[in-house]
Amino acid sequence: MSTALSVRNLRLYFSTRKGVVKAVDNASFDLRKGETLAIVGESGCGKSSLARALIRLLPRNVHTYSGEVLLDGVDVMKLSEEMFRRSVRWRKISMVFQGAQNSLNPVLKVGFQVAEPLMIHFGVSKEEALAEAKRYLRLVGIHESFADRYPFELSGGMKQRAVIAMALITHPEIVILDEPTSALDVITQANIINLLKRLQSEMGLSYIFITHDIALTSELADRVAVMYAGEIVEISDAEEFYRRPRHPYAEKLMASVPTLRTDKKLEFIPGTPPSLINPPPGCRFAPRCPYAFERCLRESPPPYEYKTGSFVRCWLYHEGKR
Amino acid sequence: MSSRVEYGWRATLRELFTYKSAILGIAILAFLVALSVYAVVTIPYDQAVKLWRGSENVWINNPRNALPEWWEWFAGKKLPRTLVLDSRVTGFGVSKAVTPVVGTDMKLVTINYIIDYNYDDFPSEVNIFFSARYQKNPPLVKLVVQKPGGEEIEFPRFSLRAPNDSLYYSISKDVLSTLVSYYASKHGGVNVSDRLTSIELTFGRASREGLESGALEVEKGMYRVRIDAVCFGEDSDLDARIVVYGKVHGPAGTDNLRRPLEIALLWGAPVALAFGLTASLLTTVLQMVIATIGAWYGGVIDDIIQRLTEVYMILPFLPFLIMISAFYKIDIWVILAVVIVLSIFGGGIKSTRALVLSIKEYPYIEAAKVYGASNARIIFLYIIPKILPPLVPGLISAVPGFVFLEAALSFLGLGDPFLPTWGKVLNDAFNAGALYRGYFYWVLEPAALLMLTAFAFAFLGFALDRVVNPRLREM
Amino acid sequence: MCSAMVSKRLIRHLVIRGVTLYLTVVVAVYLTIIIANMGGKVDEFVLGDLYTRIYEEVNRNPQYRALPGPEKDKLVKQMFELEVKRLGYDRPFIERSFIYLRDALTLDLGRALFMLSDSGSRLVRNIILERLPNTVLLFTTVTVINFFIHLLLGLYLSRHHGSLLDRITVALSPTSTIPGWFYGIFLILIFYTWLHLLPPSGMVDVPPPPDPLSYALSVLKHMILPMLAWIISGFFLGVYSTRTFFLIFSTEDYVEAAKAKGLPPRLIETRYILRPSLPPILTSFALSVVGSWGGAIITETVFQWPGLGLVTWQAIQYFDTPVLVGITVIYAYLLAATVFILDIVYSLVDPRIKAGFAR
Repeated sequence: MSTALSVRNLRLYFSTRKGVVKAVDNASFDLRKGETLAIVGESGCGKSSLARALIRLLPRNVHTYSGEVLLDGVDVMKLSEEMFRRSVRWRKISMVFQGAQNSLNPVLKVGFQVAEPLMIHFGVSKEEALAEAKRYLRLVGIHESFADRYPFELSGGMKQRAVIAMALITHPEIVILDEPTSALDVITQANIINLLKRLQSEMGLSYIFITHDIALTSELADRVAVMYAGEIVEISDAEEFYRRPRHPYAEKLMASVPTLRTDKKLEFIPGTPPSLINPPPGCRFAPRCPYAFERCLRESPPPYEYKTGSFVRCWLYHEGKR
Repeated sequence: MSSRVEYGWRATLRELFTYKSAILGIAILAFLVALSVYAVVTIPYDQAVKLWRGSENVWINNPRNALPEWWEWFAGKKLPRTLVLDSRVTGFGVSKAVTPVVGTDMKLVTINYIIDYNYDDFPSEVNIFFSARYQKNPPLVKLVVQKPGGEEIEFPRFSLRAPNDSLYYSISKDVLSTLVSYYASKHGGVNVSDRLTSIELTFGRASREGLESGALEVEKGMYRVRIDAVCFGEDSDLDARIVVYGKVHGPAGTDNLRRPLEIALLWGAPVALAFGLTASLLTTVLQMVIATIGAWYGGVIDDIIQRLTEVYMILPFLPFLIMISAFYKIDIWVILAVVIVLSIFGGGIKSTRALVLSIKEYPYIEAAKVYGASNARIIFLYIIPKILPPLVPGLISAVPGFVFLEAALSFLGLGDPFLPTWGKVLNDAFNAGALYRGYFYWVLEPAALLMLTAFAFAFLGFALDRVVNPRLREM
Repeated sequence: MCSAMVSKRLIRHLVIRGVTLYLTVVVAVYLTIIIANMGGKVDEFVLGDLYTRIYEEVNRNPQYRALPGPEKDKLVKQMFELEVKRLGYDRPFIERSFIYLRDALTLDLGRALFMLSDSGSRLVRNIILERLPNTVLLFTTVTVINFFIHLLLGLYLSRHHGSLLDRITVALSPTSTIPGWFYGIFLILIFYTWLHLLPPSGMVDVPPPPDPLSYALSVLKHMILPMLAWIISGFFLGVYSTRTFFLIFSTEDYVEAAKAKGLPPRLIETRYILRPSLPPILTSFALSVVGSWGGAIITETVFQWPGLGLVTWQAIQYFDTPVLVGITVIYAYLLAATVFILDIVYSLVDPRIKAGFAR
């Protein structure tokens, strides 16, 4: 079981007129080869920022960008922009964006856009690249005649598939999927998830699957990471997570998801997430946590490895209260 | 969550004032409005038109093409003002004596003028206007000019040709030859340069070298001009008015018809403002109504409006305007009407129509239809208030265009023929070759005012656009 | 990408567009005739022109040369009335107007009252068309120059948005509400009246230099001020608009996706920012071209540039009615042609149109 990606102490802060936004605060996790790591959390918790941080898509007002990201033993954070572009982007890590419909350039043909990474990164000729693009389009279930069409001629679901084809054509090791299905209807959603599963086993890919929809992750995830207010508060094996989430926030999350077969009283979490500008000292969930005690409000809990490879940031576990 | 986005007029205004350009625009606008009010109040319309037509020698006492008085500051020397001395007006510098000749019905009339000349430059012109009363024989007049040094130059006698005759001293050939021969003989047969004018010979310090080279300096001091006249007849009389024209006049100078430019400049302000605002307002409102009707009723009406809009794009606006102004007698109101008619199916309709189309689908519009609101009610109570705000910046930003349109038309000589507008001043200046003759102020002053007006509305309109259009704000 | 995949449907679309535009020209010209003839002006010069032609014909004809004056006049009058009936000029106004319309559309614009073309012809058509190339030369050059200035500087500013240069451009964009001819007046004041550096009027030195090279240089020298006037006028708003366009377009999702794909920054700029933003940039460019035709009249008057605009002004001065009507007609054609050309370019650039007709 080797590690595809190893992230340590990743930080991404933005400067805004109102202060410094700590979008990703000290995130650390491992991604194993061939596995799907789901990152769940509510809107604004920093998951998309984390994705962007990994592929170094930084806005103009970045304040801090630090940490260690080990890919095949190389810390890619230390690479220059040009080296990163040439060796990491799309070659090691590719990405399927949220609202992928808009990831396609409206004035370029679909096939060309899918083929583009091959031409740029591997110097493949246009004809060969287009042929390969058609192959991948077939792979994701789009008829190859669509390669000659423009994005506006494809439906939402087809565009999503095209973007997935685009993300795979360079055979990267890792694919980050940021809410790949949130703009689609449920049926198409299911189809895409099945597609992703098939491709993962066929091509030996590792996925980082980012979503706010916990139910969705149960299909794909091998492990689940929960983000809250910019921090990763729990990483558990999927089976374990769905049965028994460790972190109080994760607990509350699972309690709010309706289940099919059992009769469940749905709960909600009172209060709102803290502002990422001046997060409270101590545990960020403490103000809303039903189990919070005095230490929670004072100190921020470090990760507690309750099982090999599984972590939870909660004083309850450090102090053996759970 | 921190600050809420504020809506409403007061909030918009408050945000507007954070833009320096908007404040500047409003300030200039206030100035122009003040100017307009001043113009309309001090010189009523009819009077302005009459004055500007300049008939009956209304401006005869003004210098031609005089610079504005403030130019002195840049020129660095004292530039001459116009001096008028009239024998009918008692005052310092003029005296008149009438002596009957015993035993005849002749009278000797002597008029003395004292001119204390202290300027650093020559006058531009000198004219003497006579006003005589006689039965049969006109008076016989002799003119004597005494320079500060005491020397006198006598001009040969001449008789008036009419009761209101004038002696155009500065351009009269007789006067010039008298002066030349005077100086020639005085300085021992010197060859007087033919570059020297009567004015320079009269008011200049004559020296041999100066006369030959044609460059004389102004001789300051007390000049005396005497008119000795013999009048024939019991009731005969003679009055004369001497005008020594300066080189500067008024806050804005004069044009080639001696009209003081400040009248046209002042009156141009209310005309420009009224024309620009009215045209822009009416065009915007009409376009809004048309676009809304088209978008709301859809179908054939919408199609017709669309086709009309396309035709309008091809209509050559300015040539049409020119053709109409050239062929038919028009005044500013007709121009305004034509401009509006030529604009109402213009480009603004497309965007407004798109906006109305999208609003039409809103749930609350459907709800209004359901509870039985009439079309008119929906249009006026729901739709129009929603599309008005985005139109306001465009309205204001369009004003300069209309102002320049009117100016362009006047500049071509096709505008209202009686109204003194800035464009008309430019037209006069251009036709008189102001650019080639160096009468820059004649062109600069109306141009500067036009530019100020444009800036005022443009700054205000652009700032408003940024306030009303949130997307532009971030940019 | 710019493969000339011009499908039949695309051609059909353009043909339809062309016909529609032509129809609008017909409407515009018809309006011109109606308005011009409200005071009977068109009747006047059409009939006057006819009479003169017949008179000249009769005089030239050896058969009639021997005829004494009054007899000749009677003959001319007879022939004139015959012609009037034949050509239908005595019909009611509605019918006449369509006859005039046909004439105008075929550019049979009659003869000028006073003016002469450069080649000595009295035909209105020649007077106007001979001067057309000069106008095209000046205004097309300026428009092209402006297009590239706005594009390149707008691109540069969008990359450095928020900088001092950017803020200055935004603040000064209202200066573009002032038309070019107005700046032209100031430029003449500065560069000719004050500095005596550049010529204030005309297209070429008088007398014109004999050899082509110095002729061309002389023309260029005369083009500097009018072009500068329009460059200054359009500058700040033009750069501001394209910069805003680029800003909006560079924040599009697909640009970020392109960056994530690892495409080099230069490529992203040309393929992902420039190309998609061309259609709206072309639209505003189209509007400015159409607007510049209107501004030509005053500009050429100010600079005495021998083009369409100056002909207009001269026609106004001389009150040469047929020329004025002819100018309006030619302008309608010009505008329609410009819109049509821009339509073609637009449909080639925006694949949504190109492809939409290929299916």
